[in-house]
Amino acid sequence: MELKVLEKTPFSLRLLVKGISLHTLNSIRRIILSEVPTMAIDYVIFIENSSVFYDEYISHRLGLIPLRSDIAYDKYKPPEECIEIGETQQYPPDCFAKFDLEVEGPEEGIRVVYSGDLVASDPDVVPVYNNIPLFKLIKGQKVKFEAYARLGRGKEHAKWSPVSIAVHKYVPNILINEQECTGCGKCVDACPKNILELTNGKARVKNQVLYECTMCKLCEKVCEVRAIKVSHVENEYILYLEFTGALSPKKTLIEASNILIKKLDDFEEKLKSMGVLQ
Amino acid sequence: MTRVLFPVRCFTCGKPIGHLWEEYIKRVKQGEHPAKVLDDLGVKRYCCRRMFLSHVEIADEILHFPKVS
Repeated sequence: MELKVLEKTPFSLRLLVKGISLHTLNSIRRIILSEVPTMAIDYVIFIENSSVFYDEYISHRLGLIPLRSDIAYDKYKPPEECIEIGETQQYPPDCFAKFDLEVEGPEEGIRVVYSGDLVASDPDVVPVYNNIPLFKLIKGQKVKFEAYARLGRGKEHAKWSPVSIAVHKYVPNILINEQECTGCGKCVDACPKNILELTNGKARVKNQVLYECTMCKLCEKVCEVRAIKVSHVENEYILYLEFTGALSPKKTLIEASNILIKKLDDFEEKLKSMGVLQ
Repeated sequence: MTRVLFPVRCFTCGKPIGHLWEEYIKRVKQGEHPAKVLDDLGVKRYCCRRMFLSHVEIADEILHFPKVS
């Protein structure tokens, strides 16, 4: 297997993966999307809310805030254990991180309450962004609540997913028959991603932009002499991940692999115990 | 689309966008082109971009009405 990093920012990762089958890559992608646990607010207890916003409206906004989970991942109990405890309306500190908020509207004007105003009990579990507007207050309005965050998985609710985008696509392979190409330039005009150009009267793919190709095959369609052919390279894929900031890209990939390995081990174990495998 | 407050995340893809709203609206009100501001903020997909372009902040008016519950 061969890997090449095409793009890397704190919140996104684009990888070129060679020599791996699609189903293996897809398993990893789906595990990242729905199995890797992160922290998110799950219970909100309102003590007072005289704002114009309903309790559930504020709770929903709180739940969607991405929380830093890199350290919390190893510190808190796994989701399966905490779901049941939470249902009994107990919030022990080994399962839940607590947030407090008590705000009143100002004498004049509007007070915007931000995610950064939440008082976190655990300094390792704090909002990724401190300037997400949560709600607004004017004079005489007051909001007081306790919120509890726990580890959860994306398959339970998307707020727990460490990624907002996790996609893979084929690597395009654009073949141009130089003998037949008449250099009419129709394919160059047709390409919506603008990746073709004319050089010495022949169409060719520009440098460094091949991965932009979406394989729409418009160039194939407009070519009167059928000199251009778009296909894909076998066993080569582009994996693109966009992170919410809850987990670092490194931690997400490592934990996704660990979860996949554990699932396969469990499967093997089960087969052995059933007597299918020796 | 009438929404009371700007959403925390994009409805379609789930990208966190709530923290970008205030900078976006400030710069647009100063006369910058929305497309340029969105490019600067790193909002690439059209699902996220329509969240900004179509948002009307009506919270400031609603604040003065009594809550019916």
